[in-house]
Amino acid sequence: MPPIVTAERLSKTFRVKVRDPGLKGALAALVRPRYRDVHAVRDVTFRIEPGEIVAFLGPNGAGKTTTLKMLTGLLYPTTGRVEVAGVVPWTGGRDFKRRIALVLGNRQQLVWDLPPEETFLLNRAIYDIAEAAYGERLAELVDLLELRDVLEKPVRQLSLGERMKCELAAALLHRPPLLFLDEPTLGLDVTAQEAIRGFLTQYRERHGATVLLTSHYMQDVTALASRVLIINRGHLLYDGALDALVARIARIKRIELVLGPGDGVTAETLAAFGTVKSFHFPNAVLEVRRDEAAATSARLLAALPVADLSIEDPPIEDVIRQAFAQGLGADR
Amino acid sequence: MTRTVDWLRRYGALLRAAWLQDLQYRASIVLWLLWGVTEPAVALGIWWAIAADGPVQGYARADFARYFFALMLVNQLTIAWDSWYLDSWIREGELNFRLARPIHPAHEAVAENLAYKARTAGMILVVWLIVAAAWPAVRLPFGAGRWALTAAAVLLAAALRFFISFATGLLAFWTTRATAIMELHAGISLFLSGRLAPLALLPPAVARVAGFLWFPYMLAFPVDLLTGAVHGAALLQGFVGQVVWLAVWVGAYRLAWTRGLRRYGAVGG
Repeated sequence: MPPIVTAERLSKTFRVKVRDPGLKGALAALVRPRYRDVHAVRDVTFRIEPGEIVAFLGPNGAGKTTTLKMLTGLLYPTTGRVEVAGVVPWTGGRDFKRRIALVLGNRQQLVWDLPPEETFLLNRAIYDIAEAAYGERLAELVDLLELRDVLEKPVRQLSLGERMKCELAAALLHRPPLLFLDEPTLGLDVTAQEAIRGFLTQYRERHGATVLLTSHYMQDVTALASRVLIINRGHLLYDGALDALVARIARIKRIELVLGPGDGVTAETLAAFGTVKSFHFPNAVLEVRRDEAAATSARLLAALPVADLSIEDPPIEDVIRQAFAQGLGADR
Repeated sequence: MTRTVDWLRRYGALLRAAWLQDLQYRASIVLWLLWGVTEPAVALGIWWAIAADGPVQGYARADFARYFFALMLVNQLTIAWDSWYLDSWIREGELNFRLARPIHPAHEAVAENLAYKARTAGMILVVWLIVAAAWPAVRLPFGAGRWALTAAAVLLAAALRFFISFATGLLAFWTTRATAIMELHAGISLFLSGRLAPLALLPPAVARVAGFLWFPYMLAFPVDLLTGAVHGAALLQGFVGQVVWLAVWVGAYRLAWTRGLRRYGAVGG
């Protein structure tokens, strides 16, 4: 099967007016406007196969949303080529729009003053969804997203989490094969975030949809995406599996220990095995070189009264931070 | 055929949503309606006083009464707020999801426009009927032909005002002051479209300028048609003016939409 998304050497440059602060600056900008080129996305190439869940990861302003907007046809690239679902999004027209869903975390399509069901009915008409299919899909979405209690409340009375769930339901009624989600968990509490993640996983399993999401929450990525595209300052830093990234960047592993009863174990004792990250008896965390993790664990178990021991990768946030700091070549 | 049915269903849904939303804002609709009534009422009050000693250029008190009642109704039937909606859609990023849907955002605007008009014009009509029962001056000359012509002129004026509003709203693609431009347009139209006085009472030079612009066709022409002030050649001229200016503004809207979208696609929302 051909890739469902192809981006080749995609770049987007915005020309923005530069203005010095104050009245003088305002006048100067009026008389002789100065412009600055902002390279939001630079030379980004990737392909996405049908059925994949791919996460765009990067700090604010990295170019994630700009890329998403180019893929959905809201922006057109300055240079490069995009093809989504077999068409160029910018010129894809109505047929293209029927094949995608776009959910923007900070901008909602739900009609604010009305119950969410009214937006669903509106979308039923806009997307020409047959009565029977509508009923069946709505029932499924209500069930998966646990929306029964909110369908009849005006949107403005819903919590942020309930609103995002309804937003997803509204966007998926026409059952698009391709989902673009921009920060779907932004500002949600942990429970709501988990509910959204759980839903996306289930939805994809049932319908085989391709999902592209942007996020700056690591949990979204670890829970959902088989593949990450790390983007920073418009550059694609990494494209591949998350585990592979961790293995590559993180040269260390963490050994978490719970010591058994007995005394005599001090920070100094532990320092002989690796770098002590924390020690509050009976808990200790050591960092050791990745390739020595197994051997060191064995030595620890032999030498000390260990009640429990586990070997972990360093927190993914640390890995990503390191990736941004080091700058990675795209992994293809 | 199925296409027509699809569109009817889409419009049904859009109108329903617009209507239900309006219901949430009953208070503000009443306020807007009051404004729509107050402006012509104040104008009528002034002309009523001026015409105390006899007709002004052929307009007696009863003529003024009829004119401003007709204006009240026609204004509500042709009014368009779309530039304000568009301005906020564009500036606040609400255009994005609308562009990602397989329906042109203008349809939503049209539906909102129709829903609003159905409500306010309906109320004005009731007010008018009550007043007319008690006060013969505001009763209109009835004739099926004239009413049919008026209906056509009102339809054209509504379309003209919609496209003017939509096209000016699209200026928000380029400037943050699109609403200021719309305000300016509304200010000029106060004089040139007949909202303050029948166009026949304007200084001849101003009336001549107005005649070359679209303003009289937005409001004054259908109002004069309704009150029976237009006959013969002026009738034809009025319709020609409406059609020509409608074509011009539809052209302006299309240009602004395609250029604006291209710019939006280039610089983002």
